[in-house]
Amino acid sequence: MKKPLLYAGVFCFMVSGLLSSTLALAQSDPTGKKPITDTYAITNATVFTSPGQAGMKATVLIKGGLIQGVGSNLALPKEAKTIPGDSLFIYPGFIAGASDVGITRPKDPDKPDDFVSSNPPDEIAGITPWRSAVDQFSGKDSKIDDFRKVGFTVAQIVPEGGMIPGKAAIVLLGSENSTNLLMENTALAASFRGSRGMYPGTAVGVMAKFREIYDNTKLTSERSQKYNTVAGLKRPEITPTYSAMQEVTTGQIPVMFTTSSELEIRRAISLQKEKGFKLVLTGLEDYEGVLDVIKSSGVAVLIKLEIPDDKAVKAMKDDASEEVKTLNARVKKAYDDAIAQASKLEEAGIPFAFSTVGVKSGDIMKALQKMIESGLSEKAALAALTTNPASILGLAKVAGSIEKGKMANLILSTDSLFTEDAQFKHVIVDGIIYDYETKAKKKASQDSKGDGVVKIEGNWEYTSESPAGSSGGNLVIKKDGADYSGTITYDDPSGAGTATSDIKNVVLDGSNLSFSFDVSASGMDITVDVSGEVSEGSYDASMTVGEFGSFPFKGTLTPTLIANK
Amino acid sequence: MQKFNYFLAALLGLSIQFASAQVEKGSVLIKNATVLTVTKGTLENSDVLVQDGIIKKVGQNLNAPNGVTTIDATGKYLMPGIIDAHSHLGLDVVNEATSPIVAEVRMKDMVNPFEVGIYRALAGGVTISHAMHGSANVIGGQNATLKHRWGSTDPADIIMQDAPRTIKFALGENPTRVHGRGNGIQPRTRMGVEAILRNGFNEAIQYKKAWAAYNSASSQKGSTAMPPVHNERLQTLADILDGKIIIHCHSYRADEIYMLINVARDFGITKLVFQHTNEGFKVAPEIAEYTMGASVFADWWAYKFEVYYSTAYNAAILTENGAITSINSDDAELIRHLYHEAAKTQRYGGMTDEQALSMITINPAKQLGISDKVGSIEEGKQADLVIFEGHPLSSYAIPQMTFVDGVKYFDIKEDADDQRMKVSPTEMVEPVMIYEGHDSRCMQDTESLFETTESLFLLNQ
Repeated sequence: MKKPLLYAGVFCFMVSGLLSSTLALAQSDPTGKKPITDTYAITNATVFTSPGQAGMKATVLIKGGLIQGVGSNLALPKEAKTIPGDSLFIYPGFIAGASDVGITRPKDPDKPDDFVSSNPPDEIAGITPWRSAVDQFSGKDSKIDDFRKVGFTVAQIVPEGGMIPGKAAIVLLGSENSTNLLMENTALAASFRGSRGMYPGTAVGVMAKFREIYDNTKLTSERSQKYNTVAGLKRPEITPTYSAMQEVTTGQIPVMFTTSSELEIRRAISLQKEKGFKLVLTGLEDYEGVLDVIKSSGVAVLIKLEIPDDKAVKAMKDDASEEVKTLNARVKKAYDDAIAQASKLEEAGIPFAFSTVGVKSGDIMKALQKMIESGLSEKAALAALTTNPASILGLAKVAGSIEKGKMANLILSTDSLFTEDAQFKHVIVDGIIYDYETKAKKKASQDSKGDGVVKIEGNWEYTSESPAGSSGGNLVIKKDGADYSGTITYDDPSGAGTATSDIKNVVLDGSNLSFSFDVSASGMDITVDVSGEVSEGSYDASMTVGEFGSFPFKGTLTPTLIANK
Repeated sequence: MQKFNYFLAALLGLSIQFASAQVEKGSVLIKNATVLTVTKGTLENSDVLVQDGIIKKVGQNLNAPNGVTTIDATGKYLMPGIIDAHSHLGLDVVNEATSPIVAEVRMKDMVNPFEVGIYRALAGGVTISHAMHGSANVIGGQNATLKHRWGSTDPADIIMQDAPRTIKFALGENPTRVHGRGNGIQPRTRMGVEAILRNGFNEAIQYKKAWAAYNSASSQKGSTAMPPVHNERLQTLADILDGKIIIHCHSYRADEIYMLINVARDFGITKLVFQHTNEGFKVAPEIAEYTMGASVFADWWAYKFEVYYSTAYNAAILTENGAITSINSDDAELIRHLYHEAAKTQRYGGMTDEQALSMITINPAKQLGISDKVGSIEEGKQADLVIFEGHPLSSYAIPQMTFVDGVKYFDIKEDADDQRMKVSPTEMVEPVMIYEGHDSRCMQDTESLFETTESLFLLNQ
């Protein structure tokens, strides 16, 4: 319930910017944005063609959106634009097994006058298998660039809605002038989410309703078959639900069940065993206890590309009583175990990919690094981002590795992929090159002058860019003992003027400053997270607004007139 | 090396599957206890031998076969595992409250073996609980009978697979409040409740007929018969009519109890148990004659209007009139001392030890259709047992060990501070709620349905 509200809010917040920001490129292209060539050669880079392969020095040639060749002795055509890759590491572009990038939840239809909550129409009860993610997808969503920036080039997009929201599709995170569609009707999304205040309202009702829909879909097909072959029969009742469910009952497409916990995983697998449909599990968060169940069922799994928040772990105090310490130790262990789960999947030999539904793009590399720290091999991590989703989604012929003839979906990194210093300088999707700013990493100010402590307290002026335009305000940071606190002003999203919020979770780690604040707009709260580098009175950061994307945030410390003591 | 690892992994994988396919069964010899068999009297200084989860022998001077552990219970009491005929423990969802009839939903889908309340129940000697759907609907969902095999992670392993199907019904204020007052649909009154029941069963008869007609027609050569629409809800009601499911009906008032007896008689239903049944004492002979009895609270009432006319003598009056009577908890706290609840019938009604103990063992077993398997200490029955320090009906009774199928799942000497199986990685210490107030579970998941009513109520204040 929280999510649609947030979407609505942020939608209002941004819509004005979206409407004016882009016009389709005219054919004569006075903008100059049309590329002069579609042939590129990235020369002498370190190329990792697929998971587990050692990097080799090679040139990658791209033409017309496809990889034309990888090697050291390629003949480069004249029209090839050369990108010197000497200091670059090239990896296959990432593929999200399930994603909500570009997806906006459709408005719920109005309830009819004769609405009865015990027997609502399918569409209102969240049963909309005929809907397609394609209809909910916008190529202009800023989240597309957010995910591309962290390496994603292809995503299976999942529609939003109730227990059966509709069918997924596979898109490229490419040009906003293309539909970017790779495949439609790839899976039927489903979850145990009930409809508030109507049937089915809870997971137990959802399971019963799912069985009922499944069985009646099969019976409807049976009736239709008879009706088409024998004359003189009563017309079978065909509903959009049963028609759309047929692809599932005939085994053409899998059901993609969102199952975050081990009990939900068992429930989905038990339904699958009972009815016999193809199954993909997505959004897994807690699954260590059911690895054997997953393995023996043979279902494909898409785990949530997120690690649990560490608020509870961070809140532990050293001066706690023995009893509390013992309890804390279990929480800490649960936290560590949760992060190590991905490596347990690898150990069990279960190929998996990731779901990024509900995941902030900015947290992804950190989550991957943590999983690797906890035992996941880099090979398995890369496979979960490339070859595994390619084979789960049926894309293995066209994506997932760097090979001649595959789509030119590449990541050009400044360093080896999962290292902390790695930054993605270019991400190539469908042969189109997207450039991203990279920063020379400063060693946390040890080698700069002074005592090595970066000064952040004082009054900052900042500007931020978002699709709604640029805005700015003042950021005040004060030091309270070892902690920091302060306030931030910003344009009031619910009207004219400026609003002020307290900033919280202010953390200075080396030269990295992060903090967050809550913006309330029309009765709901959105948390904004800001994180970036401080260097001599300037702050270069990015601001993440809930799940809706991240935007540049730049600050300058205004000189104080009061002498520092 | 790699090959070897693979082999090992395959072997482990296999053994895990094997383990989950079959629940653990234990063997144990309990010696020199005062054995309260419930059905065969009290045996002083006696031994009970359990092999592979089954009570093999009850007698004196028994010897433990090779490899079977012996427990000396000198001075202690051994009784059958306590059975709670009304509980909501171990369920992720209790109410699918959205329709007056939801016979198609299955509590077995929602079993959560990680709920620490199951361990607490074991610590109170309870080995079996009847995990029921809530009371928001006239005909609620199908219940699950659980065996408290604490430590199992597969819900299927704590479901008593050989127990018959049961279903929840509810009369009176709860279903009329949710559907009539909350949602403006039938039933708004007790008359409406009866109409829902009768209409439901009549529809189920039609449904059964339609399928029977189709099945017989489609077996003919060249049949053009079309299959009817599948309806799990009506199919379940048809199964009730066919005697395949035991009804457990939430009820308080004598008039509504008598109403359901009449509905059941009209439709030929005999497998019927009343739950709560606070006014059961007014219709005790009828309950005794036409039903499988009543499952009541020892002394809990006055938490809403329909529960004011009550007495602690209820269980005794029902028993003396020949109704099978059990004492239940409906509560994660009460379930920890059902033996005290049973003892109250001795203070209010002068029940004998055997009568009082029956109310938490063999009688609930009869009401759940499992009295041939559990509920007393008899050779051939499943070894669900509790060792007590002190007589279980004494105020000083303390359960020492609890066994399910001969496997010890609780031992007061091994009781750790933190018995949770699962801990959240994102919450410091989960809030512990033992007493949540009556109706909190029975009416769980129904909150959204009262929003309209509540806002109207606030307007008028």
